[in-house]
Amino acid sequence: MKLCYYPGCTLKDKTTNLDQTTIAAADELGIELVELPNWTCCGATYPLTEEKIANLVPQIRILYNVMVEGDNRVTTTCAFCYSTLKRANRAILNDPIKRKRINAYLKDDKRIPEYDKETVYNFKDYNGEVKVVHFLEVLRDDVGFENLSLKLKKNLEGLKVAPYYGCKLLRPPEEMEFDDPENPRIMEDFLESLGCEVIDYPFKTDCCGSYLSLSAPDAATRASHLILNSAVKNGADLVALTCPLCYYNLDRRQEDIGNRFMDFSPIPVLFFTQLLAIALGVEDEILGLDQHYIDPSPLLREKKLVT
Amino acid sequence: MRAEISTKNIRSEFVQRVEELSGQDLLACYQCGKCSAGCPIVEEMDIIPNQAIRLAQLGLEDEVLNSKTIWLCASCFMCFSRCPKGVDFSKIAEALRMIAMGTEIEHYGPQQVPWEIAAEAPQQALVSAFRKFSL
Ligand code: SF4
Ligand code: SF4
Repeated sequence: MKLCYYPGCTLKDKTTNLDQTTIAAADELGIELVELPNWTCCGATYPLTEEKIANLVPQIRILYNVMVEGDNRVTTTCAFCYSTLKRANRAILNDPIKRKRINAYLKDDKRIPEYDKETVYNFKDYNGEVKVVHFLEVLRDDVGFENLSLKLKKNLEGLKVAPYYGCKLLRPPEEMEFDDPENPRIMEDFLESLGCEVIDYPFKTDCCGSYLSLSAPDAATRASHLILNSAVKNGADLVALTCPLCYYNLDRRQEDIGNRFMDFSPIPVLFFTQLLAIALGVEDEILGLDQHYIDPSPLLREKKLVT
Repeated sequence: MRAEISTKNIRSEFVQRVEELSGQDLLACYQCGKCSAGCPIVEEMDIIPNQAIRLAQLGLEDEVLNSKTIWLCASCFMCFSRCPKGVDFSKIAEALRMIAMGTEIEHYGPQQVPWEIAAEAPQQALVSAFRKFSL
């Protein structure tokens, strides 16, 4: 199966481990992820005021290009990309004024001389034709978790994993329609299909502090500590997540957390696709385990999952 | 805090502008406090989310625009997701930030990011922070 893939900016620079394990794991499952040609930044956060219509153009430009490539679905792993693409698509579907204005901007794009003349004349309005799916949804709905567990080369039995959702995947629930916002299951079901022991803890849907990591780092440190400490106290060996910004806050910020909260014991943080890649027997070099602040290798070696 | 409660403030242009920008009906909020109870950043805020909404309802423009709270919202949508009245405080906070920035363009921009942090922070954090805190 071929599937159009939108990696997003962070995956091509700071978290290449997320990009590479996604592609390699999909490949093992017989899914060829075809990267959208000439993609641009999605704008990261969804604009929250009615007047910022121009801030919806980056998302819709991406979805328009997916449509032009002849695809009706696009998948991504970054929770920010997923959220902003999905919400913008919903705005296009439900709001005729936004639809009209954004299409006018897109049409303007095509007048730039560098662009291929053909596309200028063949411009067709984008009306929300493309479906945005998270890679976890592909695993659940296309591959199927039961089927997935039959394809494992290594069982992750004995690994105690705390799933972390964060904010963007689940909320606002009416727009994301991803899972139950208070009691989600998709990560748990995924981890169980790999053989992991799932650790439940109260802060899995709380926010890590997000972009306040830059403008108010102390707030992000405290919020991240609350989440990690709860996972540790409930017996987790590691935390699994999908978002590169959550990863930055929960992994890199453990230095600040350690300085501020003396009783804190560090815990490795991995992308769900790294665990998937390990279970599917992807070579260790592709896992990108050297990119972590808290090195997960000793734990994974002890469990005989990597060499 | 002393504040003047008057119909002049409550029906001010400021209140209308907040409602227009945010798309939210301010008076729908009945001050139950559920938004603040679930907010992960509430400890760092000077006034809590439902207080910010109350000030906006009453048209107390300076009080709400000078609060730290509007710059501390992480847009995690916990408040909105739990609000029994469907009020989206993250949208109200964004509207208030836009009004507070006025013509000043930038509250937090590239100049404020230390070089070591800019070098290691994920792109999405930089883009998001600039989108939220500059015009
Ligand atoms: S949860 Fe909703 S109704 Fe309750 S105080 Fe917050 S905004 Fe107002
Ligand atoms: S969206 Fe903002 S105010 Fe609401 S819970 Fe999250 S950080 Fe708090």
